[in-house]
Amino acid sequence: MGAFMPNMSPRLRRPLWIALLLTPALLLMIGFVTLPILSALVYAFYKWQGLARIGFAGFENFRLILFQPPFSTWTYNAFFHNLIVFVSLMVVQNGTAFFLAWMLSKGLRLHRFHQVSLFLPVILSTVIIGFLWKLFLNPLFGLVNQTLVAIGLASWAQPWLGQPSTALASLIVVNAWHWVGFPTLVYLAAMQRIPREILESAEIDGAGEWTRIRRIVWPLVAPATTIVVILTFIGSFNWFELPYIMSGLEGPPFHSTDVLGLYFYRTAFGTVSAALQDFGRGSALAVLIFLFILCISAWWVRILRRREIDL
Amino acid sequence: MLKPWQAALYQALLVMTSLVMLYPVAVMVLSAFKTTGEIYASPFALPESFALRNLATIWHETRFLAYLGNSLLVTATSIALMLAAGTLAAYALARYAFRGNEAIYLFFLAGLMVPLKLAVIPLFIELRALGLIDNRLGLVLVYAAIGLPSTVFIMTGFLRTIPAELEEAARIDGAGEGRILFRIMLPLSRPALVIAGIHNAVPIWNDFFFPLVLIQSDHAKTLPQGLTVFMGEYSTDWGVLFAGLTLSALPLTLIYVALSRQFIAGLTSGAVKG
Amino acid sequence: MSPLFRLGATLALAVSAAAPAFAAELTFWSWRQEDRAAYQEIIADFNKLHPDVKIKFEAFEPTSYNTILSTALAGGKGPDLIQARAYGGLEAFAKPGYFLALDKTMVPELDNFAPDVLAAESMREDGKVYAVPFATQTVLILYNKELFQKNGVNPPESWEDMIAAAKAFKAKGVMPFANGTATAWQNEILMGAFGPSLYGREFNGDLVSGKATFQDKRFVDALAKLTELKEHLPQGFTGVDYPTMQQLFISGRAAMIAAGSFEIANFRRQNPKLEIGVIPGPAAAKGGPRLVSLFVDGGYAINAKTEHRADAIKFIRYVATPRFGDLFSSKLGNISPIKGVKIEDGLLADVARLNASSSPYVMLVNFRYQEPTGSTLIQSGVQKMMAGQATPVEVGADVTKGIAAYYKPFQK
Repeated sequence: MGAFMPNMSPRLRRPLWIALLLTPALLLMIGFVTLPILSALVYAFYKWQGLARIGFAGFENFRLILFQPPFSTWTYNAFFHNLIVFVSLMVVQNGTAFFLAWMLSKGLRLHRFHQVSLFLPVILSTVIIGFLWKLFLNPLFGLVNQTLVAIGLASWAQPWLGQPSTALASLIVVNAWHWVGFPTLVYLAAMQRIPREILESAEIDGAGEWTRIRRIVWPLVAPATTIVVILTFIGSFNWFELPYIMSGLEGPPFHSTDVLGLYFYRTAFGTVSAALQDFGRGSALAVLIFLFILCISAWWVRILRRREIDL
Repeated sequence: MLKPWQAALYQALLVMTSLVMLYPVAVMVLSAFKTTGEIYASPFALPESFALRNLATIWHETRFLAYLGNSLLVTATSIALMLAAGTLAAYALARYAFRGNEAIYLFFLAGLMVPLKLAVIPLFIELRALGLIDNRLGLVLVYAAIGLPSTVFIMTGFLRTIPAELEEAARIDGAGEGRILFRIMLPLSRPALVIAGIHNAVPIWNDFFFPLVLIQSDHAKTLPQGLTVFMGEYSTDWGVLFAGLTLSALPLTLIYVALSRQFIAGLTSGAVKG
Repeated sequence: MSPLFRLGATLALAVSAAAPAFAAELTFWSWRQEDRAAYQEIIADFNKLHPDVKIKFEAFEPTSYNTILSTALAGGKGPDLIQARAYGGLEAFAKPGYFLALDKTMVPELDNFAPDVLAAESMREDGKVYAVPFATQTVLILYNKELFQKNGVNPPESWEDMIAAAKAFKAKGVMPFANGTATAWQNEILMGAFGPSLYGREFNGDLVSGKATFQDKRFVDALAKLTELKEHLPQGFTGVDYPTMQQLFISGRAAMIAAGSFEIANFRRQNPKLEIGVIPGPAAAKGGPRLVSLFVDGGYAINAKTEHRADAIKFIRYVATPRFGDLFSSKLGNISPIKGVKIEDGLLADVARLNASSSPYVMLVNFRYQEPTGSTLIQSGVQKMMAGQATPVEVGADVTKGIAAYYKPFQK
């Protein structure tokens, strides 16, 4: 254990103290998260019609989700989109956040103003953000298209949310705009803890800005990266509110913005205008999503922690 | 030290970013003064008039102050509960070696991975058994539990980076576990507490799903839930909704601006001589 | 225990203690936020007949309504009176036994409804009625009378006429149609407004019996005709969503919109000066039949576990009377299916007249009982087709295949 957690005193055992520390959180979690979720996951093994449980289904719901078109098509389609979202956000959102944090850490003039303005979108409700950006991206009177026409790039003006080629990308960009403030803050906090002497002595040794970033800053903010990666991963696969507001529950145009969060919601709760409620399939989907995220996260955690130690 | 051209470049980039961030917010605030038709007809122009008719609608048709109070109460209490319980648990996981440490850590993390909306029916049944339906306390407990995984995750991440020497020195001085936790570890973790707090406060403040399902009486509704009254089946009163949601964003914004001062102070005090 | 817990416990006690003090107050849940004021008037009228029955009307955000209702019913804390959907949406709640079955001894006023209207609020497997229908809705074309007059265009009767009218509008700088395909369910509306006139009266019956599937020439040809509309839809129509469409018509920038009759009240409220006219989808050939799509919007049901059954029945009987129907139509701008209701409003009366020549709104009425619903399939199918990414034949095949998985008459 010592090598795994270097800042710990291995000989100390305070079982009662530890139990005391853990109990409140465990009670809350088990009582209001774990137990309800387990009850709900049991739904996956039954057949449902609306709210009525009409018989034991065994693994039928899982079979439908994984192997029976069109359900399975929707599953893999949504999953694929989640992957795209995750990778894109890592690069676009978190990459930008890293550099923004670096610039903020310099303490330039106005940096507090920048910090506040960067974080302002994070505080806003996704409902507002989604609607605002839908207005901006509106093909007829949206600001984006109007600007493109005004600066002579009229051929680039297109129905951003109406085409499968641009719809998901647009949502990703909006999400990045909305949330970039948060990873920026996390990175900023980590960067602020880097002892100034290390950076200064590197500079004296002749290391340029970029070299310092690559060789010193990036490795030293590993804990922040862990947090950001895991939260982005989990957030990408649970993504729901923004696509719901901007696209709709079916993930239009024709499922090109469909993600697991939307698919789950319309399966479990139905939509007003098309899909019917099915808790059986909805739960099965939730079970699969959960297992997937659990395995990958456990693996990520292992890898990232090891990296933190090594660095 | 930055070369002047580097500083200028960074400043330019930061200014551009701030503008990109703030412009939509400005549109939002301006739209709060428009009617739905006006928002679609001239979305980016200044409003025809700065009449407060949308605000008047909110005032008359909803119990705005009551909802605001409920939101403040529910959010503050949830955050306090979640940070308290979560930090204690994170401390145990981060600074003590014991069997099951990794398993419990993953158990908390697993809470982040399930779409909790799925459990809404069992949750309702459970809260009903406890007599907590239509009760803000029920909402608080649910939110606190939902926020625990990310809190534990973030706090563990930060607490693990505090060097053991600090702890050792304190122990040599005769400090007990409690003292170490409250006098040394917690103050050092202020930035992490702020981050964990904000990460959860925003979704809790803006959530309307759980209040819609768990709160049925008008006097206990939260603000976003109260504002859903303007979302109709075939038409949504966007002007009024914008006004409401803009107002709704104010408390958190003010708190954040105030906290960011704290945050910066916390940041610099957290730099440990290594 | 912390003061907060004590406060919480006291609150819980207070709430539960307060309940019996309001004896015989029924809760009535709905998703119609826009109608709150009107329902207060309706309840006031009901109270003239039954002053001792108090009713509390609560409206919820429509997309969450199902979830809120499901959860409350499953948790045993549902309302006494429930506004419910029709067809598959009704069965989802009736099947688990949440709604009280209504019959003629309990509610003699059920005689005021035509059998097919009652069928929309019944469960297919036991034939019992579970809700009293409150409105029918029609899918057709709304047009701006002023724009037509100003530009010298006549409301079109045949498809040819309509295309010519669209071209005339475009030449004068007016958007012919407000429709866009970004919002999924609007694609079904598009099909519902133009479809029946194109595929004819018998098609629906043939579908139900299995004599025809969605691969039938009539349907595929109708789909193909829809693609002819593309050049007359707004530029970038694949990105034009539902609110944008509505605003285009309300603000007078578009001459026509394929929409449901439920938009009428909404449009009028947002632009009282708008002069709206209604026409059915144009006939395929000159002089051919013109049909609209028709469906039952929803009904009022009684919670099977209500403690105020007698009072609830009083209300349900009231909403099945022509007296209520008149009030409903005039206050809410919808067409009540109750026999003997007089529709005062000219435009609504026009719609009612058009309803005489109608076909059921095919997917909602017949194929929204099981997943994948016909609605889901046709919505994404038409959306894809209008974007040029699928042919009418492919769409017909996809829809048929999806439905054939559970619909026996298609399984040949």
